[in-house]
Parts: sequence; structure tokens; C-alpha cells
Amino acid sequence: MTHDPTFWLLARASGLTAYLLLTLSVLAGLVVKSRPFGRALKTAAVTDVHRFFALLGLGMLVLHGVALVLDSTVHMPVAALFVPFLSTYRPTAVAFGVLAAELAALITVSFSLRRWIGGRNWRRLHYATFLVFVMGTVHGLTAGTDSAQPWAFSLYLGAVGAVAFATAWRVLGRPTRTRTTTTTPALERSA
Amino acid sequence: MYRIVIDGSLCSGFGDCADLAPDVFELDSHGKANLRVGTSNDERVLEAADACPMGAIRVEEVQAA
Repeated sequence: MTHDPTFWLLARASGLTAYLLLTLSVLAGLVVKSRPFGRALKTAAVTDVHRFFALLGLGMLVLHGVALVLDSTVHMPVAALFVPFLSTYRPTAVAFGVLAAELAALITVSFSLRRWIGGRNWRRLHYATFLVFVMGTVHGLTAGTDSAQPWAFSLYLGAVGAVAFATAWRVLGRPTRTRTTTTTPALERSA
Repeated sequence: MYRIVIDGSLCSGFGDCADLAPDVFELDSHGKANLRVGTSNDERVLEAADACPMGAIRVEEVQAA
């Protein structure tokens, strides 16, 4: 057997899928409070989707790492999945992915630790998700071998555009702070 | 009778509790949930605790004095 492309294909597909799932999770997280669809979407349902995509994305990252180790196109030692710059294949580009994945795992775990670390610290850490998204995008563009393909580039462009738009919407959107329960539902019904 | 406790550190002001049980929960001027009452017989407080994305609401069943 000279070269079995299975794991190489799996590594690329799982990497792109993980990126897509991370993007969807970020988008779901961003619309939880800005409510672009009004009250039609329940907060609990949106946060469920947010968490589901995040966990699925982490699972896909595990598959991405396993496939890279098993593949023979790039020689990726197991340690290089955890230690930045250990990879001989595009060390900097891979380091972005390693750090993004580790930070993503930390942020995901932090939800279960929120009582222990406190809500304020949990929220601060959650902002680091933007860093995960940026590092993940850089990693995908620079380490991925499909990035030059129009479909792959469109995926990255679409993801960045969507997250930028949802972030702007969240920041500039109607202030949720002044919303009081007694007036808003009544206003929405009469509108 | 239910006794309700909000963890103010965890509350992120999603406001679902106030939507579900407006007689018990309200959002203050900082957008955080406050209790209007300490105890309630309203079963919707259980729904509110379930719906809180941060799990910041704790409900304990207590014997009415």
C-alpha cells in the first residue's frame, strides 16, 4: 500500500466541518440575546443549539486530530496536536489551530465550572471565543490545503462575514438592558 | 411553596424567567433578574429555573409555615 488517501480526506473534511460547526455555534451564541427573530425563538432552544454545535465541533476537532496522526501525507506526531510549533508541517499555521482548539475546549469546559469560577470570570473567558474564531480562521486559511479553492475560500469568507454581521447586530442592536418585563411584551403585542 | 434563589453572579439578564413568571421575577435597571417575592406557589418558577440559560435560578420546595 503506497498511500491511502482515506485519512487525508478525513482530516480535511473534519477540519472544515469543525470550522463550520464552530461558526454556527458562535452565530447561535450571538443571537441568543440580540434576538433578531424576536420572541419566535426561545432563549433555551437557542442556547441548546449553541451548546450542541460547540460540543459537536469539539468532537469533530478530535476526529480532525486523529485523522491527521493516522494519515501519512503530513507526518503529525500526537504531541504536535497539543504543543504549538511542534509540527514540522507548516508549524505556525498548525500552532494557530492547536491554540484555537485548546482555548475552545477550555471555554466549553468553563460552562460546567461557572459556579466555581464565578459568572464574571466565565463571561470574560467567553469573550475569548472571538480569539478562537480568528485563530481558527487563520489556521484554516493557512494550514488547509483547500483554501485556494473557490468553494473553501467562500466558506471562510461567508463565516467571517456572518460572524462580523451578527457581532455588529449584537453590539448595535436594541439595548436589552432597558427592557422591562412589564412593558415590552405589551408593546410587542400592540406593535 | 417554593423558595427561589437567584445567583446574581451567574445571571446574564436573558430575561426568560421574567417572561415565564412575571409575578416572581423582574429585570432591574442593570438588566439582571431580581425577585419580586422570596417564595411563591406559582409552578411557573420551576419552568423559569429550567429555562435559565445560565442555571442561575435555584428553586427549593419548602413546607408552608
